Order: sequence, then C-alpha cells, then structure tokens
Amino acid sequence: MRKETKTGMLGLALVIPSFLLLFVVVVIPIIASFRESLKNDSGGYDFSRYLFLFTDPGMRANLIFTLEITCVSVLIILLVSYALAVYMRFSSGALVVWIRRMYMIPIFIPGVIATYGLINLLGNHGWLSRLLLPLGVESLPRIIFDEKGIIIANCWFNIPFTTMLLSSALAGIPASVIESAKDVGAGRLQLFFRFILPLSYKTFLVAVTFVFMGVIGSFTAPFLLGPNAPQMLGVAMEQVFGVFQEREQAAAIAFFTFALCSFMGYFYIRSMVREETARR
Amino acid sequence: MLRLKKSSALLFLLMLSLVALSACGGKNGSSGGNTAASGGSAGASSSSSSGGAAAKPVEFAFYFTGSENVKDLWDTLTPMFEAKNPDIKVKLVYIPSGTGAQPTYDRIAAAKQAGKGSGGIDLYEDGLPTVTKGQKDDMWDTLSTSAIPNLANVDEQTMKDVGYLAVPYRSSAVILAYNSDKVKDAPGTLDELYDWIRKHPERFAYNDPSTGGAGSSFVQSTVYKFLPEDAIHSSDPAIEKQWDQGFALLKDLGKYVYGKGIYPKKNQGTLDLLASGEVDMIPAWSDMVLQQLEEGTLPKSTKLKQLSPGFNGGPTYLMVPKLSDKKEAVYKFLDFVMTPEAQSIIVQKMHGFPGIKLSSMPQSIQDSFQGVSDGFRTFNIGDLGTDINKRWQSDVAAQ
Repeated sequence: MRKETKTGMLGLALVIPSFLLLFVVVVIPIIASFRESLKNDSGGYDFSRYLFLFTDPGMRANLIFTLEITCVSVLIILLVSYALAVYMRFSSGALVVWIRRMYMIPIFIPGVIATYGLINLLGNHGWLSRLLLPLGVESLPRIIFDEKGIIIANCWFNIPFTTMLLSSALAGIPASVIESAKDVGAGRLQLFFRFILPLSYKTFLVAVTFVFMGVIGSFTAPFLLGPNAPQMLGVAMEQVFGVFQEREQAAAIAFFTFALCSFMGYFYIRSMVREETARR
Repeated sequence: MLRLKKSSALLFLLMLSLVALSACGGKNGSSGGNTAASGGSAGASSSSSSGGAAAKPVEFAFYFTGSENVKDLWDTLTPMFEAKNPDIKVKLVYIPSGTGAQPTYDRIAAAKQAGKGSGGIDLYEDGLPTVTKGQKDDMWDTLSTSAIPNLANVDEQTMKDVGYLAVPYRSSAVILAYNSDKVKDAPGTLDELYDWIRKHPERFAYNDPSTGGAGSSFVQSTVYKFLPEDAIHSSDPAIEKQWDQGFALLKDLGKYVYGKGIYPKKNQGTLDLLASGEVDMIPAWSDMVLQQLEEGTLPKSTKLKQLSPGFNGGPTYLMVPKLSDKKEAVYKFLDFVMTPEAQSIIVQKMHGFPGIKLSSMPQSIQDSFQGVSDGFRTFNIGDLGTDINKRWQSDVAAQ
C-alpha cells in the first residue's frame, strides 16, 4: 500500500510540470484570446465578432476558400503519401532506393525559399512554360496567384513528412502476416483492405490530423502564392491584425481556426482512448 | 532505496529543465513576436550596461525597420557618428520590414503604461502613421532647434505637420517604372495613365495596398483625385463619403490590370513582374528601382517617370520616446543625421530625397534633383489610410 502511494505520488509529480507548462503556454492564451474575441466595439461582450465571420461576404468567402483548400490538400497529400509509403514498403528495386533517398529533401528547404522556387517554376514566364514551349504548349493555365498554387505548395511541404509517418507504420506490419495471407490466397486488394489499411489505420488518423492542422494554419505559401481575395484564414488573420489593427476580430478568426483544429483533434483523441480501453 | 534516490534525482533534473523551458515559453508569449523577443533581450542588456560606470560611453538603443538598404545606411552612418563622438555609442537594433514594427511600438507603449521608462528604446524610425498614433498616445518627445540646431535645415511646414514630434530624415517618392523597350510614350498624368492601362490590358500591375507603399500610393492618389486639393491633409472620417468615385474607378481598372485583377504582395512583388517582363508598367518606390537598376536585378531598359501631380510619397521619420533617459546623446545623433554631410550619404545610399531643404545641400546634389522633385506630394490622412485599405480589400480585391 505504501509503495503504491509512493509511485502514485511520483507519477503525479512527473505529470504536474508538463501540465503546468501546458496550462501556461496553451490553455491561458486560448482563454485570453477567446475573451478578447468576445469584446465588441462599444466595450461590452457579445458574439458580434463571430457573427461578422459568417455574415460578411468577404470573410465568408475566406472561410469557404480555406476549408476547400484544406480538404483538397489533405486528400491529395494522403493519397500520394500512402501510395508512396506502400510502394516503398512492399516493393524493391533501384527506383525504391532512389525514392527512399530523395523524398525527404523538401523538408530541408526553408518555406520561403521553396515558395519563391515555385513562383519561378510555375509562374507565367517560369521554367515550366519555357520547357513546354518547344513542345507546342503556348500558354499554361494560371497556377500562381491561384488556389492551385497553394495546393501544390501544401503538397510540397506536407508529403515528405506524411510519407515518413506512414512508412514507419507500414514498417511495423510483420512480413509474416502478409506472407501467410498470401499463402492462403489473398489477392492484392484483399491484402490492402483487410490487413495493411487496418494495421496502419491509427497512424493514418495521426497523419490526417497533422496535415489538416498544418494546412489550415499555413501562411507563407498562401500569402505569396494565393489570390488577393478570397484569402486563406492565416493571411486574413494577418491582414486584420497587422494592417487593419482589429485585435478582437483577429482573435475571433484565431479562435475559430482553433475550434476547427480541435474538432479534428477530438476524433484523434477519441480513437486513442478507445485503443487504450480496448487494451485493458 | 537506491532506486528511489535515482528516480528522485531524475525527477529533480526533469523539473529543472521544465522550469527552464517554461521560462523561455513565457518570455515568448509576453512579447508577442519572435523578433520582438530577441530585440527585447538586446534592449535590456544595453540599458543595464550603460548604467554601470560613468567613464563608459553612453549607449542608446536605436530601433529601426525597413528593407536591407535601410540597414546598410545605418551601418554606414553610425560609425561616422561614433568616430566624432567617442563618448556616445549607438546600439542598432534592426527589425526587418514586415516582421516586428508593430511590436516595437507596442513595447514602447507597454513600458510607458508599466511605468518603466521607454522600454530601452531611445530612438525609433517609422512612417507617418506611427508618428500620428504616438501623437495621440503622447509618446514622443517634442524636438526643438535649441537642442538640435540642424533641425533648422528642415522644411518648417513638414515639422509643423508632425507637431515637432519627429524628424523627417529622408524621403522617397512613388514613381512610374516602365519598360522603355515596350512603352515609347509614358503617361504624364493620372488620366493618361488610366487610358494607358485600358489600352494595354494586363500590362500594368500595382501591389496590394495593404502590403506596400507603392500600391497604397496608387490607390490613394486615385481615390483623392476626385476630392478637393486640401483633402490630402485631412484625417476627418467624414471625407470617406467622397471616396466612392475613386473606388468605382479602381474597380473598373481591375479588369485591365495584370491577370485581370491580380495584385501581387509587397512592393517587390510588382518589381519582380516588371523584371520578368510580365508587365510593362508599375508604380514603385524610386529608391528601390534605382537600387535594383544599379545591382542589375532590373533590366537596363527600365525607366522612371514622375506624374504631375505626382503620386504621394513621404518622409520616413525618427522619433524620440518621451520617457527615454538618454535624450542628450540622441539629440547629438539627430543633429548629426541632419547635417548636409550625412544627408549626402543618405541621398547616395538610398537614392531618395534628403530630409533637409535642398538649398542646404551641396550644389552637386541640388543639381541632380532638378526636375524630379517637382511633382512630389506628401499625403497626411492619418488613420484613414487603414480604412482605404479595408475598403479596397472588400470593394476591389473581392469584387
């Protein structure tokens, strides 16, 4: 009994510092900015700032634009990353070796540099259009200063890390499972849907959460590559805070973004909790 | 027992590292920005070191913001000043443009509210909006010719406009930059310019006015074209009702500008388009164009033209926080900055206009400015600039 109390106290003591840290740097700022976002023009408290988010045509366009970009980006990134990761895990050959060597390179290139690189590559008179000119392609569709540019940039920034995450999950699937399934005659699709997907499902969920949060809060690429209107929420937030100097409105956008992210986080945590209880 | 000791030692170590971590986090959180945090420690160390011995030179902290060329300028001027005044040291704190100018003002304001002097900031450089904001909040020291004799070289009207709270130490103008290979007959007035834009669809671009002065100047010049002459010196919100005609014009021009309504971010955004040949004409800061011509990043065919009446440009100001405790040293520095000698360097380095009257400048510089400074106008519309940007975002960008 005594020993148990001791370990219990030790556990509590170990948790308290990280809890305090979390409280000071995360919980308090969130509460403070929520409070800030409730202030209206006359100094009272109401939901007028949030009402503005959903009623102002410009702001509403920003919201829809952001969600659209985020969903499309998440979908493309996960499809590509998953395909890459599965290919690297279950195939062999020179190509796989090269992919394995190269796919992490984008992580080491700073965001601003990569963004300017994309502008030079995909812009109106960029490298791509110059390379395609001899092939008879006269004009490219608009990629830069458009949502396509933002989505391409999101892919560039997120695919490497997501692939890494999924690769580690796939590496954890024992080869014996796959082989014995093959022995009893499972086809490729069956293998994928019955074994590979369920066994990497949890990491997949982690990846979705990470990509979603990373894309929805992104700033550099949308600022430099995106259209003037509608804007992504990160850019709109900067404009409202830095240029228009409306602190409360910016707080409302920030809190709304946080709410969206925590919505994603909820599913992630729920699945984790289920896993834990199932283990018991 | 031994195991318990080990684990408690481990716990202690963990706690220690966490406390250190949380201290870092707290500091970042309170100063509101990454650059401000590093500037904060720099400012703090300067004030503590100067408080030491009397024999040590007085060191004051000079916060400034802008593009790389502004940093170059102060890196040249400061050693010259220090050589002449061995008892004064200038601590330069450079905040790259667009990252931390607002936090710097907030820091001065916060230090004032907390009763902690000027927060280690003894001299600050920024544009007119910050001067007027500080005027309202009573942040800046009133300057006089008795403390800074060379202030007499500055145009009196400009000093009156800012209530003697700031020194306009240099000016730049927004001009039209164009590709002379494509444009033979550059427009000379605003109306000719609008005509040109309509006749040459997608060959003109101006940057998003909330991200850079060149685009903002184009927008303001267009909006105030339809207003009485003296409206550019008024910050009365009632004037906003008369903006409609200007915004209607901007909205209409949207179809003819680059990409049928693409407004690149920052002053550099349009310069990049001009350099790559995607457009033929842009409004730009004269100092940026001249510098980039010199460095070869803009093609040789790029030419400049000032409209008449001109786009609004404006001086950049130096302000002394009222609660600074090193004003004597700062005054000496300001006096040096306003000498014809220092101003000549500013003109050469920044390709801008001098802050002092041209008649006080050396003859060679007076000659080089013949004809260029004619159309130069200064707008002083205070907070209305923000409202213009806001309305531009909803009326023109999101049309």
